[in-house]
Amino acid sequence: MTITSDFEFPPDKDKIHRRAVRLEWITIAYLISAIFFIYLTLGSSQAMKTAWFEDILSLIPAIAFLVADRVRSKRPNERFPYGYHRAVSIAFLCASVALTTMGLFLFYDALTALLSFEHPSIGVVQPTGHPIWLGWLMIPALLWSAIPAAILGRKKLPLARALHDKVLYGDAVMNKADWLTAGAAIVGVLGIGMGLWWADGVAAAVISLDIFHDGITNLKASISDLMDSRPTTVDDSAIDPLPATVKTEVQKMKDVKDVRVRLREQGHIYFGEVFIVLSEGAGTVERLREIRETIHRLDWRLHDIVVCPVGSLSEVEPSS
Amino acid sequence: MLLALTLTACDIPRDPESTLNRVSGGTMRVGVSANEPWVILDGPEPAGVEVEIIEGFAASIDAEIEWFPGTEEELAAALHSRELDVLLGGIESTSVLAAEVTLTHPYLTTASVVGVPQDSDIREDITGVEVAVEAGTEEAALLDKTDAIPVRVEDIAAGDGAKATDSWLLDDLGLKDTGVRLAEHDHVLAVPGGENAWLTRLERYLLSHESEIEGFLGELGAP
Repeated sequence: MTITSDFEFPPDKDKIHRRAVRLEWITIAYLISAIFFIYLTLGSSQAMKTAWFEDILSLIPAIAFLVADRVRSKRPNERFPYGYHRAVSIAFLCASVALTTMGLFLFYDALTALLSFEHPSIGVVQPTGHPIWLGWLMIPALLWSAIPAAILGRKKLPLARALHDKVLYGDAVMNKADWLTAGAAIVGVLGIGMGLWWADGVAAAVISLDIFHDGITNLKASISDLMDSRPTTVDDSAIDPLPATVKTEVQKMKDVKDVRVRLREQGHIYFGEVFIVLSEGAGTVERLREIRETIHRLDWRLHDIVVCPVGSLSEVEPSS
Repeated sequence: MLLALTLTACDIPRDPESTLNRVSGGTMRVGVSANEPWVILDGPEPAGVEVEIIEGFAASIDAEIEWFPGTEEELAAALHSRELDVLLGGIESTSVLAAEVTLTHPYLTTASVVGVPQDSDIREDITGVEVAVEAGTEEAALLDKTDAIPVRVEDIAAGDGAKATDSWLLDDLGLKDTGVRLAEHDHVLAVPGGENAWLTRLERYLLSHESEIEGFLGELGAP
């Protein structure tokens, strides 16, 4: 059986990739500190609890990125001839299912607390010998869970674009949106302080819907990945122009009469087939190899492309 | 906005149902469930450690106390619906009541200990020692798990020798502490959920009167 070649980043991407790995380690260390501080000030606020769960859940994409990073560089072998690139998609599917369920569960939790008129209590603590209302300590803990996260998110976004890494992209977007969670929780805590008992439950509901939203977004992305949908840009907002570029480039060749391109994403990189109709007598093995190498040179993501000469495109097109 | 926050910071948190405002200079409705030495309901007036505490607290906010005796269960339900303002009953921080009402942080921690006569030289190691323990108590079960030989008795005050009992009873029984801890008990009061100005005022009072409260236990705690 033929197995695909090892994958390595091109030299310029390699540096970016190492930076991304370092940032994800920093993210994990930072998130653990944020989770710890929120835990210390948790109290019986529903909004704090929900924000705490969100922080714990936001560890998943960072861990998924680092685990996937190890797994996908494993050498392709007889058993896994396409390599391990797809491990990322599977990890991400699991993570997004967890996010979605957790979001729904926390929303239900917030709603039942609101409907049963549960009044959240926040008392006094004495960490340094002076009694202080716990609510005042919740606010700095929440700010610590928001501001560094937003900065990390901003730093990771351009790296994700450069590496065409959807896990990293999803993680960066989640980090960037963390201020929303913290903001909602702060409003909830201040609401309790003002004697508005429902402010806490409303804030918790808002945060849980945000978690649910993250879950659904990632669920859609990972399902479409596993379904081999046509490649999209890293933020899933547009069709990736790369297949069209390949088609145009091959079409330009004098001996190619017609061409059809089919690509699929596996993590960072693309596998796929290029079906070509060659002019009479042009189809030597040497020529086919040339065409394949030209395609591979177009973009680093074009990793393992099969060039297949056919008599006419109708052989490979679905009969309509 | 920050300025506005700092200006109002002194009266945050507030009560959704204005308990603190109503009780200050008014009447405090206190549920009492008998549990010696915390709440003693034998006499004409309630007495006990927690009763002393709440009388001091009431004085500090210029409130009259109206007592409502009952079982912990029914008083907790009344507290939950804000028909009472505080509940006393020797409640501990691990109580299941936490699902229904709000527990303050502990005002006092006591322990179930093993004590020995003053002339004994047993310390820490109670292996093979016969230890008297009141039958039908949690301590009896906890003592079973140690290396001591539990002897279940009806009246802990009777008889000599080692005894498992509450830490504050050691003096009264003429015993000294071996350092063996069977369990710790964090004692709390209960207030209605969400009345945060009320809760924090009470908690601040408890925090600033810790040593005084320990004194109450010394006076009132007797077998």
